[in-house]
Amino acid sequence: MKWRNPKSLAVLTLAGVLLLSGCGGGNNNNASNASSNGSNASATDDTSPITFSFFGADTSPNWNNMQDDVGKEITAKTGVTIDAEYDVGSGGGQSKIALMAASGQYPDLIYSKGELSKLVDAGAVIDLTDLIDKYAPHIKALMQDSMNRLKYSNEDQSIYQIPTNVGVDNQYFDATGGFEVQLRVLKELGYPQIKTLDDYENVLKQYVAKHPTTDGQPTIPLTLNADDWKIMITVTNPAFIATGAPDDGEYYVNPETYDAMLHYKRSEEKEYFRWLNKMYNEGLLDKDTFVQKDDQYQAKISSGRVLGLISQEWEYQNAENALKTAGKDDYTYGHFPVQVDSSTQDHEMQSVGLDGYGIAITTACKDPVRAIKFIDWLASDEGQVLRNWGVEGKQYTVDANGQRVIPAEVQDRKVNDANNFAKETGVGLYNVFGPHYGDGVKDSSGNYYTTNFPDQIVASYSQSEKDALKAYSATTWKDLFPSEKDLPVKDWGALYNMAVPTDGDYQVIYQKTQDIIRKRIPEAVLAKPADFDKVYDAFLAELDKAGAKDMEAEYTELVKKRVSLFTGKDVQ
Amino acid sequence: METLTANMSSANESVSSVPTEQSKNKKSGSDRFRKHSNLPGNESANGLPPKKRGGVLRSIAQQKYLYLMSLPFVIWLFVFNYLPLWGWTMAFQNYKPAKSFSEQKWVGFDNFVKLFHDDQFYLVLRNTLAMSVLGLIFGFIVPIVFAILLNELRGMAFKRVTQTVSYLPHFVSWVVVAGIISNLLSIDGVINQILVHLHIISEPIQFMAKGNWFWGIVTASDVWKETGWNAIIYLAAITGIDKELYEASRVDGAGRFRQIWNITLPGIRSTIMVLFIMSIGHLLSIGFEKQMLLGNSLVTDYSQVLDLYALNYGIKIAHFSYGTAISMFNSVISIILLFTVNGLFKKFAKESIM
Repeated sequence: MKWRNPKSLAVLTLAGVLLLSGCGGGNNNNASNASSNGSNASATDDTSPITFSFFGADTSPNWNNMQDDVGKEITAKTGVTIDAEYDVGSGGGQSKIALMAASGQYPDLIYSKGELSKLVDAGAVIDLTDLIDKYAPHIKALMQDSMNRLKYSNEDQSIYQIPTNVGVDNQYFDATGGFEVQLRVLKELGYPQIKTLDDYENVLKQYVAKHPTTDGQPTIPLTLNADDWKIMITVTNPAFIATGAPDDGEYYVNPETYDAMLHYKRSEEKEYFRWLNKMYNEGLLDKDTFVQKDDQYQAKISSGRVLGLISQEWEYQNAENALKTAGKDDYTYGHFPVQVDSSTQDHEMQSVGLDGYGIAITTACKDPVRAIKFIDWLASDEGQVLRNWGVEGKQYTVDANGQRVIPAEVQDRKVNDANNFAKETGVGLYNVFGPHYGDGVKDSSGNYYTTNFPDQIVASYSQSEKDALKAYSATTWKDLFPSEKDLPVKDWGALYNMAVPTDGDYQVIYQKTQDIIRKRIPEAVLAKPADFDKVYDAFLAELDKAGAKDMEAEYTELVKKRVSLFTGKDVQ
Repeated sequence: METLTANMSSANESVSSVPTEQSKNKKSGSDRFRKHSNLPGNESANGLPPKKRGGVLRSIAQQKYLYLMSLPFVIWLFVFNYLPLWGWTMAFQNYKPAKSFSEQKWVGFDNFVKLFHDDQFYLVLRNTLAMSVLGLIFGFIVPIVFAILLNELRGMAFKRVTQTVSYLPHFVSWVVVAGIISNLLSIDGVINQILVHLHIISEPIQFMAKGNWFWGIVTASDVWKETGWNAIIYLAAITGIDKELYEASRVDGAGRFRQIWNITLPGIRSTIMVLFIMSIGHLLSIGFEKQMLLGNSLVTDYSQVLDLYALNYGIKIAHFSYGTAISMFNSVISIILLFTVNGLFKKFAKESIM
């Protein structure tokens, strides 16, 4: 009320406007400073300070603006500071990257996950072929056998991204998928054999009959997470996992003809969903399954009253960490390669070759040479060891034999205080920024590049886990699964990484089929047993009505092209 | 808007019935203001010069400070509300982010044809309309009733506490509210426990799994969250009603309900009308947070709304043109609705916002 005088109000408003525009100008100055720094930095092994902005399509809640040990070391060695932004929640970057493409405002570096094709269509990412050739000896050495797999497509053989979320020549040393059963259940029932759905069902049924409550609350034999895209992880993907098919996203690809079809159309999978339907009608599948939100699901698991899960360890990791922190090791889970019947085998360990999401440099980056050199440094032995192991003398030591050793107290924090450990040390936070070798590859000093190798994995098991594994005469959960040696390498890599056209109807049909799947699969599972066939057949008919056949035909073409790109085979 | 602000200010002034020094100053201040701006006494400063002698230029010169003051806001309005309309051109193109405007391919009304041929569009339109009409009815009546009841309360302390407590949920984000609601309504949630305990139902009901309950749940949670907040404006309007009217009616022997019916409700009539017309304009743009956060795969047939549809089939799959077509449809319908309702009210109720 003091501002009765129009003059003073006007002056104030103007001042406000000026202030605002001043702020805007300030930002521009910063940007131009950064770019001028960048343009000076052309000499070899330049370590003058430079900042790259970055967007990551996965969450990274422990990101600490490079104020962790590893981050400081990276800045000291390369002069690079990363100004990172990560997508929130379960976003996967979909909306964020679409908006970037529409507005034309990109960060310097981007880890775009499944959204690369949007950026390529928008002309936002640069071809890295020449840059890698000229400036990146380490990346070249790392990718020597897989250079073909880096190419975008048959028509556009540019390299837009360098895979960073998978390790080169990775070997699995532990199984983290399959069907999960609580260790206390195994213990009480005398470590029964769990190979088929019937075995799995019996185990849960027997235990819940004996112990209807856990800590005063009703025991839940089996619960799944159907919140948003997680429905794929715990409800629909297990259908092909349990029927001996490999993971190709929403599709099943015939290995002889390369014909792709929505995997729900396989008759074996109908039997899997029939089993879920039976579980529901017998009251073994949690009634809240398709209603609960992610946090309710995680809360149930952390309460320890869920006996069985059908999921991947990373999906319920936080809840299991909570159980570990509470000292309830008996309530954590073991992994079993459960199949519908004994005629098939679990394909989760099947090698897809090098194929993954990666890091790309955008047109907004003022100094791509410096950026590729930075990525190359991360790919060097020094960079990889730093990212995987941490700083020597802090997170690991080298003993008299030249072996890298993680001190006991560091290992303890790494397992039992995982989040704070990552925040302070930065170990594990820098994987997406550069390519790296996978588990089981040794460097020139005879040490493993990563900290995931058999001794280390067994060291991170709890006593309950060790007991259970001993009873099954295994050392890791992986020993229960069919080994990758028995499974052929897939010619087409991992199809969930394949870029699909953003133009035309493909995306619309895909989105429609997704809507149908997420609506009808729960409906089929919750139906009365007598109605199951009717509901499921109607579901398949609805898919075709939405144009699934055209979509599959288009996808088949893409798969064939990819096979010939990756392998050089001539596929008709 | 004018009626609204006028009401508000009159409400403020009559809160204290004895004119204080400050309000006297205020009055004289506003007198000076009127003289200065050369406006008729009953017209508020809305920047429209009265067309009298002297011409436009002279009045601009006279009111230069007013114009100067409004300039930043006019620019702001133009930049944020009118410039983006340029983007509507995208709806008639097959828009590709990499190309410049002149290189875009023009496709005419293709996107709209596709939109009107999609069955799902009609489904989401139905859901949107159903939820917004429900929201309009309950989100409108409940706050008015609540404000009137609150106004009739005698205990000042209790009244204040109730008012504060009731508008607090407004500040809680939908993410949190959705969490609370789905916990309350889950199988082992409080509501089911109470109902089973009282033997009203024999086994727990899965509230969130029933599609035909979804609209009700959304409306109820919206009412819970916004009632207190929406009641504030009516409370302010009620305080603006002349106390003498109540006294006079009491002398004439009017009871409480008579007073509410004949004094309070007519007193806040114009506020109600204005707010009603404005919310009609927002009928189609009800947002999607509630539906996205409360929905699950079992109720998608009832929970998908237009904004969610635009997100899933437009932005998320980089079909920007299609998304633009949806939102353009949205805006055009909103404007038509707004003008229709405003016209109807102008004609029949002699109230309007334009």
